[in-house]
Amino acid sequence: MSHGITCGIPTSRSAPAIEAREIDQVDRLIALLPAVPLLSAIIVFLLSAGPRHRVARASIVFSALTLMLAAAALVLYLHDPQPMLVSFGTRWGSIYLDPLSCIMALAVSGISLVVHVYSARYMAEESGYARFYLLLDLMASAILLMVTAGDLITLLVAWHLIGVLLYFLLDHDTARSAAQRYAFWTFFTYRLGDLPLILAAVLLHHAYNTLSLPLLFVRIASAPDMHSVFGLPLLTTVGLLIALAAFARSAQFPFHTWLPYTMEGPTPVSALMHAGIVNAGGFLINRFAPVFVYAGGVLHLVFAVGLVTAMLGSVLMLTQNDIKKALGYSTMGQMGFMFVECGVGAFSLAIYHLIAHGLFKGTLFLGANGAIGNARKHDGVPHDDVYTFVVERRPIASRLPWVVAAIITVVVPVAVLGMSHWLVGGNLVGQQGAVILLFFGWVTGAQLLFATYRLRAESPWRVMSLIILSLVVVVVGYTVIEHTFSLFLYPDRSLSRHIYAAASIPLTIFEILVAILTVAIVLGWLAAYYTSASGRMDDKRPSALRLAFYSLISREFYVADLYAWLAQAILGLSQRLNGWLRWA
Amino acid sequence: MLTFVALFLPLFPLSALPNLLLARLRPSFARAVLLLLWPQLGVTLLHWLQPEIPAFFVTWALLSAAFYALRLLTVRDLGQWAGLFVSSALALTWGLATRGADTMELRLFVFWFSLPAALLILLSDPLAQRLGAAYAGLFRGLIEGQPRLAVVLTAVVLSAVATPPSPGFFALLGLLRGLSDAASLGILGIWLVWGWAAIRLLQGFVSGSGREIAAADLSRGILVTYVGALAAFVAAGLIFAGGSL
Repeated sequence: MSHGITCGIPTSRSAPAIEAREIDQVDRLIALLPAVPLLSAIIVFLLSAGPRHRVARASIVFSALTLMLAAAALVLYLHDPQPMLVSFGTRWGSIYLDPLSCIMALAVSGISLVVHVYSARYMAEESGYARFYLLLDLMASAILLMVTAGDLITLLVAWHLIGVLLYFLLDHDTARSAAQRYAFWTFFTYRLGDLPLILAAVLLHHAYNTLSLPLLFVRIASAPDMHSVFGLPLLTTVGLLIALAAFARSAQFPFHTWLPYTMEGPTPVSALMHAGIVNAGGFLINRFAPVFVYAGGVLHLVFAVGLVTAMLGSVLMLTQNDIKKALGYSTMGQMGFMFVECGVGAFSLAIYHLIAHGLFKGTLFLGANGAIGNARKHDGVPHDDVYTFVVERRPIASRLPWVVAAIITVVVPVAVLGMSHWLVGGNLVGQQGAVILLFFGWVTGAQLLFATYRLRAESPWRVMSLIILSLVVVVVGYTVIEHTFSLFLYPDRSLSRHIYAAASIPLTIFEILVAILTVAIVLGWLAAYYTSASGRMDDKRPSALRLAFYSLISREFYVADLYAWLAQAILGLSQRLNGWLRWA
Repeated sequence: MLTFVALFLPLFPLSALPNLLLARLRPSFARAVLLLLWPQLGVTLLHWLQPEIPAFFVTWALLSAAFYALRLLTVRDLGQWAGLFVSSALALTWGLATRGADTMELRLFVFWFSLPAALLILLSDPLAQRLGAAYAGLFRGLIEGQPRLAVVLTAVVLSAVATPPSPGFFALLGLLRGLSDAASLGILGIWLVWGWAAIRLLQGFVSGSGREIAAADLSRGILVTYVGALAAFVAAGLIFAGGSL
């Protein structure tokens, strides 16, 4: 039995637009999206005794089929843009196809297909080839189930299973003790994140007496102030629990320690994880967007945690000498940015970010081995000026005057970002989130121009012009695509506006903060240019403070050490109890 | 009266008796039967006596469950692990009983946790035959030498610690629905420790590079029996535990 949900309530603050839609056979077929990789896993199991290439071929064919189904789901939604809930006559086990699930399913199945194809040769010499493909298929199925879940129980089952399957994928090379150790770290952190989500689901079900997600959101909109838990309003508590689950899944501080060490797993698993699984936190926050309309305080926390994570991830990335570990910390930083976006209310931007990040990070991981191979052949160190001038007979590279470069750095990104935002009709004054994101864009653009300034070139004006042109193309493209994407993901603009409103802080405080930040950034860049131009950056003598800071970073702020100490203390207590009590 | 029932739905320190019995019994089959029947006797007693259960029993049950979960972390003998796990899981039955659950609900709840534990006890035999003892960390790397045994052991252990779609997962969700927020937090903490203990146990048997074990894997017939039993168990859980949510 299948049915579409019909609810005539929406339109109040947080209710998503849910309208009836006739469900036909094609819809039902598409609703079986998570079942296709599951079927593939069963076939891989049956073929596991045969030749390896048959296992890989079967799995890849099913992956391609999954991608086609996901694309079909998106096309059908675009053709008739109404969300669709397909249930099978049970209280849970339903599939919900809305813009978020359609776009996520397409991204997940696309990345999964690439990883499947890549693994066919990459894993060819490894033992447990069929086991690997079986786990890969099960993982694809679990992720697809998570993104298309139409009720709380299905979401919990998928959310929980992803952590368990990831453990076995990361521990694929069972002989390596490091792989075991870090697979366990991942498992434990994921379990830690499962628990708040379970509690959130229990509280929501208890309060609103439904498991169905669309119906739940409608009921939340009609009665947002139902209960209080632990002295807090229900939706604030639920929002906090969902945020905690998302923090653990997406390696936010202080749940980040597992992420950089998962490189011990096979490279295709790293690619799948960094391109897909680790982004689940952003998806979860978007899925429960109607809850966050009433949990503005939690969004501020999300912003703060994201900001700390982004800074720590970026700082730690800079100190790594292992390309894969650096990529791991880079992912941590990107996840931090994704949460910053959620924290300012730009939920759709977070989804756009996670898909874009997933695609480029997956590419980087799959190309990491090639990069390492190339680096072994060519060191890539540029020749010095004397060699360039005397031997190569080329003019010596130079830089722009530092004052000019500093002005360009401070002014150009602001102009480009402001204009592109104006182009899509953005309201700079009304949306605090947009202003904060423009700040990030400004700093990133300035970083790019500063890097260009430091890069000596034969024709520095030409290089700078080309970089500015690239910046304009990227920023305008990014803004227009993101704006279109936002309209697609949140067709109910009132929901989007209410999320922005929930994420806002009092205007006076905001304006003071913006003023302080602007002055700090401008002065900071001027100082950076002056230091660079005066040659002080090349001063190699590290101060005691710098050394202390470096040692702190090299130990990754002792967070992992603290966890290890805690774990040892618990295990020690357990051991002592067992020693005293034996069988009792 | 309630104290007597707490012998069968074990709460520490009364749980010492069933654990001692489990330790003394030698044949694995008898131990598995004991694990299955003992808590059902407790449920029957609850049904007959219909006692008024005081609120502090939930606190006692949670402390008892947490205590055994903590001990589970460093137990390496598979049989003892199964016994302590059941002591931890069955204590949670009191949470359900306090809520006024009917007898069938209680019977199913204890069954969802005692069956995987009983299967673990049965698995300790083939492990002991091949490794000399069913002891985690003694020989590792079962997945390479005896993949069928490794897969069955992994599936049973995960099923025991309420990994979806095993019935324990749905049973715990059902339990959480009717408890106070503080008790729910306690149960979630215990659940977390079960997962930790399960992975430690599996790492001691399945993963790792241990000494080569020149022993045969499980026969296809035994594998099919275990897989069939687990599939039926999961299906029953989906119908009864999952269906009642």
